[in-house]
Amino acid sequence: MQKIFLEILDWSEVWTLFIPLTVLLVKKKQPSFLKPVIIYLLIALALNLFADIIWKFKEVYHFPHWLQTNTYIYNFHSIMRFLLFSLFFIKLNQPFLILIKKIIPVFYLIFISINFSVFENFFRYDRISSRLLSIETALFLFYSLQYYFFKFQDENDASSKSSDFWIVTGLCIYAAACFPIYLFYKTLLTQSENFTAYIWKVPDICYIIFCIFIAKAFHESKS
Amino acid sequence: MTEIQILVIISIAVMLLLFVSFLLAFIFSQRKKLKYQQEMQNLRETQQNQLIEAAIRSEEAVRHSISEALHDEVGAILSSSKLHLQAINNDSLDDHDKELYEKGKELLDEGIQKVRGISHNLHSNILKEFGFNEAVSHFINKISQGTILKATTALDENYATKDPENDMSLYRLVQELVNNIMKHAHAKEMHISSTFINGQLMLSVRHDGIGLSQEQFEAFRYNKEGLGLKNIQNRIILLKGSIEFYTATNSSSITIYIPAKIPVV
Repeated sequence: MQKIFLEILDWSEVWTLFIPLTVLLVKKKQPSFLKPVIIYLLIALALNLFADIIWKFKEVYHFPHWLQTNTYIYNFHSIMRFLLFSLFFIKLNQPFLILIKKIIPVFYLIFISINFSVFENFFRYDRISSRLLSIETALFLFYSLQYYFFKFQDENDASSKSSDFWIVTGLCIYAAACFPIYLFYKTLLTQSENFTAYIWKVPDICYIIFCIFIAKAFHESKS
Repeated sequence: MTEIQILVIISIAVMLLLFVSFLLAFIFSQRKKLKYQQEMQNLRETQQNQLIEAAIRSEEAVRHSISEALHDEVGAILSSSKLHLQAINNDSLDDHDKELYEKGKELLDEGIQKVRGISHNLHSNILKEFGFNEAVSHFINKISQGTILKATTALDENYATKDPENDMSLYRLVQELVNNIMKHAHAKEMHISSTFINGQLMLSVRHDGIGLSQEQFEAFRYNKEGLGLKNIQNRIILLKGSIEFYTATNSSSITIYIPAKIPVV
């Protein structure tokens, strides 16, 4: 029973994406600021499916050398996620820290260029980039907090159940819970692989919550 | 468990706890804002209603004073003029002057009748003395006399009010609607009915002329020329009721719902 549960959880990053995508099929018309999220879901589905197939079947079907690891897919996924959600926050058109929100993706791209050309290997075989993921989640926390601060300040906006609220809240839960794991991932891996595998279920569960919140956002949206 | 493992678990817990606290504070703040906005909206609505009420009451007061002036002053002068005219010995007049005398008397009678009619219309004594149903029936009988419009009423006898001011607004509302129908609808038949159930009065005006749809009413009442419709809407707001317009080929209706706090007699 536990084995089945773990197997389901292992594939969660694929099936959980079908939750918001199903809602999207029912409610096709979505506001323009949600388009980056829709694009992200489609890209994430392809990438996660690809990554899980490599993980689960690389030894069974003797995949070629370049398909023996899926870490670069997670790195690519992280970059795509960050850029698309940055676009989502920009498209929200909140008149608050506008310039900073536009500059962050540029600095992020400079950072990953330097990081993967000088300090880390993008296609590293044994582990994903802890630095990349922790920077991504830290910036997501910043984006989320600035969103809430703006809402606090805005006296005219008293809504707390809008579609953008659900997405930001889902993202913030994911980022808050995953940030310490991504930050200490390298150290954890060197100390205990078992514990790392165990604690890695937290991002999986948070990702499910995040996708449910995105589904809720699609459901609540006013096209 | 190693120190770093404990640190990671505590960090996750702290981050989530901080986030939940922040989220709760956010939701609490948004609710407070929403409550404040609702209070402001209620205050605005109350102020608007008070303004409408004051405007309608002052309009009623002006109607009342004009009615009294017409009845007591102009009416008295006209009646006195008639007495003086009647005192003239018309036997000494030739045929031409006799004709002029009769014409003058006739016009004077017509003037007295008109002044009395306008005065009663403005004052609505019947409403005050006999109630809403009787006033509406009387008004409908009066306007349909001498016209091709066949107007009938079927008003719920259970309806009686303790608030004559509200009945005055309701009566003016009916007057405005009927006048509009006579002016614009080209109706041949009109029927006014009412039902009074569970404290709610439903008043329906049906006719076979050209009516208004709800959308047209909403559009016209913001029009500068649609003063009558604006007055109708203001009286509806004052009575805390609602109005529905419906139109189809050869059949139109206007239904008014008033949540009257009136005991059933």
